[in-house]
Amino acid sequence: MKSSSPFARIMSIPGMPMTLVLILAVVVFQLLNPVFLNGSTVANFLTNGIPIILITLGVAIVIIGGGIDLSVGTVAGLSAGTTMFALVQGAPLAAGIAVGCGTGLLFGLVNGFLVAYLRINDFIVTLATLNVAAGLLVVLSQVRPLQGVTVPGFAELTKGSVFGIPTSLYIAGAIFIIAQLLLAKTVIGRRLYAVGISAQASNVAGVSVPHLRLFTFAASGLLAGVAGVLIASRLGAVQAFLGIGYEFIAIAGAVIGGITLAGGGGSVWAALVGGLFLATLQQGLRLNNVDPVYFSIVTALAIVFGVVFERQVRGVILRSALHRTALFASNRAKPAEQDTAIATIERSHDNGK
Amino acid sequence: MTERVDRSETTPLVLEARDVTKHYEGVTALDHATLAVSRGEVHALLGGNGAGKSTLISIISGVTMPDSGAIALDGDVMASSGPLAAISAGISTIYQELSLVPALSVLDNIFLGREIKRKTLGLPLTSDRRRMEREVRDLAADFGVSAFELHTPVSEFGALKKRSIEIVKALAFDPKVLILDEPTSGLEDAERQVLFGYMRSMRERGVALVWVTHHLEELFGLADNATVFRDGRTVATVPMASTSIDKLVTLMFGSDREEFGGGDTRKIAHLKPSVGRRVVLSARNLTRGTVVRNISFDVHEGEIVGLAGLAGAGRTEVVRTLIGLDSLTTGTVELEGRRLSLRNSTSAYRAGLAMLPEDRKQLGILPDMSTAQNISISRLSTVTKWGFWMSRRKERALADSYRTQLGIKTPDVDARIGNLSGGNQQKAIVARCLNTSPKLLIFDEPTQGIDVAAKVDVHALVRDYAAKGGAAILIASEIEELLELSHRVLVLKKGQIVGEVRDIPAAIEAGDFARIKSEVLTLSAAGQTS
Ligand SMILES: Nc1ncnc2c1ncn2[C@@H]1O[C@H](COP(=O)(O)OP(=O)(O)OP(=O)(O)O)[C@@H](O)[C@H]1O
Ligand SMILES: [Mg+2]
Repeated sequence: MKSSSPFARIMSIPGMPMTLVLILAVVVFQLLNPVFLNGSTVANFLTNGIPIILITLGVAIVIIGGGIDLSVGTVAGLSAGTTMFALVQGAPLAAGIAVGCGTGLLFGLVNGFLVAYLRINDFIVTLATLNVAAGLLVVLSQVRPLQGVTVPGFAELTKGSVFGIPTSLYIAGAIFIIAQLLLAKTVIGRRLYAVGISAQASNVAGVSVPHLRLFTFAASGLLAGVAGVLIASRLGAVQAFLGIGYEFIAIAGAVIGGITLAGGGGSVWAALVGGLFLATLQQGLRLNNVDPVYFSIVTALAIVFGVVFERQVRGVILRSALHRTALFASNRAKPAEQDTAIATIERSHDNGK
Repeated sequence: MTERVDRSETTPLVLEARDVTKHYEGVTALDHATLAVSRGEVHALLGGNGAGKSTLISIISGVTMPDSGAIALDGDVMASSGPLAAISAGISTIYQELSLVPALSVLDNIFLGREIKRKTLGLPLTSDRRRMEREVRDLAADFGVSAFELHTPVSEFGALKKRSIEIVKALAFDPKVLILDEPTSGLEDAERQVLFGYMRSMRERGVALVWVTHHLEELFGLADNATVFRDGRTVATVPMASTSIDKLVTLMFGSDREEFGGGDTRKIAHLKPSVGRRVVLSARNLTRGTVVRNISFDVHEGEIVGLAGLAGAGRTEVVRTLIGLDSLTTGTVELEGRRLSLRNSTSAYRAGLAMLPEDRKQLGILPDMSTAQNISISRLSTVTKWGFWMSRRKERALADSYRTQLGIKTPDVDARIGNLSGGNQQKAIVARCLNTSPKLLIFDEPTQGIDVAAKVDVHALVRDYAAKGGAAILIASEIEELLELSHRVLVLKKGQIVGEVRDIPAAIEAGDFARIKSEVLTLSAAGQTS
């Protein structure tokens, strides 16, 4: 493919096709319902969406490192609960926030320790901690009703705005910038991708695979904690079953953004786009009066669609490039051969991510 | 070269590559390359790293589609529709990189896609493992794969055994064309001879063999003709009877290159004697289950210690424990007088050890990363600002300097390393190790897949490293290489040290190469009965 067009090159950037789909979705929803891009609707939608997008980012970091974290949803729920609990007990704002973030971090560290150092399968470990966190939230909510916080500033975390932009957007923006720099520019990010590509080869090269694993789960836990604090601030009350099922949306978002579950590929941008897309989809459906019961079905379909889409778009680009080369080549290129060739190129391309 | 091969006029051509061209982004892997192989011929395919040999092979095997040109089998242009079609047309390939399915048993790997089925409920659903085993048992035994091992998952074996399994897999189906891409890399001398025996008998049965190797001395007495590639072009096809290593090397690299070793043992570097030097590494009573038993030795400053032994002697196992990849049952290791924890590879690297692993594909490269990123990964602090911030500029500069130093052939050090030719990947991993400036460097088959020109360069680097006071442990299945580079050789057998040969440079200088070689070989085989 010597003659790849600028378009083809742009589209081959991971996450880029999905970005276009995201823009398309926004346009469609806007046409369907003009309130969609209304200033306050957007602000509201973003404050609603931010916690889940932060959770998506956390899961994405774990996936890039070659793992999986199923516990993020209920850990976020529990973190919302512990924050609420601390504030209800009269803790100052900073302490309440610290408690929530700390809860998430603690769960992340436990996950990471079990996976990295005791070498228990991450699927099993996080499935267990998912249930532990869910259970603890139920217990906590029975100790005290988790609502009625009047600590000044807490609700403003999500409901306030500075220069007309919601406060939580600043928080999320800062987190995303830090994550982007961490993954793309630092030693830790480099090792993260190395471990995701091949833990074995990284180990032989002297990269500390366990430390990295611990880091990914800690990051994911911490982000779930932050998300929990924001959820608590926005809702003002925490129910016993908060957070259940969020992990599904988060993993779906990462996959839709183009982060392969095999690890070693993906970016902060991809997580953001995937998360935003799902949030947009739900918002659009809500505004068009679709019953929320259908959300999870739509989300599930979106995953399948997203995966197929990513692959197809690349296939189409490669196909057209191949046709161009084939024109100059001899007339050997029968359709069957092209398909093989495309499959081969696609495979190498998939690896290339 | 206009000499044509006589045989090709009399015997029909079985396999023909006509004007094959293949471009990759920024690279012309093949440029109107041709190859013609007749029935009952062993045809060597030669060329430096990145010359395009493996690319042609993957085109012949139906894995890759050429941009232009055609492959003809028995005179008919093949409508290449994938690897399975090539296999059923009678083309059997041993690829350069190991390509077995780790989770499957050896037997299932051998018969992958060609299983012998047994009827269950009238349907051919289950594999008839008993029959499959019977078919390949003897062949497998010849390559040291026991009947028991046939049922073991491939992931349990080291690179060496996997190589043997690949060979069994390719030989098992009476192919019309057998392609071997560096089949002997990492093989013991004895196993090489077994393989050569099989190659001869296949030739007798009229099979056409295409054989890629960088060990030019292997060719004589076995290959009939050789086709030489350079930069994707066919330079010449010559009958082996009328050529020499020097001529082949000139064809491969052009006339401006000086002559190369090629098994020549005269050019021994003058390694300084190591007596009275500081001990760098001191291993005591290393034991790991039954694979490593009570091993004790020292490595001095500026000294290269070779580990010799047959397959399964435990050489790789010993070095894996040193670098912290496998844990020891008992034993201690000290580096410059400080006891190493040996808990993991990271602490080993931090203490000043580094290792070049034998299995390049699985343990060496990070395929989806660039060449530059593969070189820097073991010591990122050399390419950072303030110790944690990656500097692309420094990383590129580092990679570029190794690229020129080792002649790594790639259009761009930022290109994906998985797309480099095997030998060039190997060079990048060598660079990775050297970049850690280790106190002790472990080389496990450092020159596998590297062409004769680059081999000289890598040997020079190893010697240079030792001359500057670095210490090294070397494993090389090619005994000439082992002796040329080592000061001292420890001979292992069944996980134990059974002998030691000292002062090798001096002995070789005194013209005793043959004696030392036979001494090592005898020791390796000795105690076979015990
Ligand atoms: N998938 C690919 N993408 C891009 N470039 C490639 C790809 N495969 C091969 N190349 C390039 O094509 C050239 C020929 O590679 P090839 O593997 O055929 O060399 P080789 O002769 O087998 O070398 P070696 O002796 O090192 O195995 C190299 O420059 C390599 O980098
Ligand atoms: Mg090759």
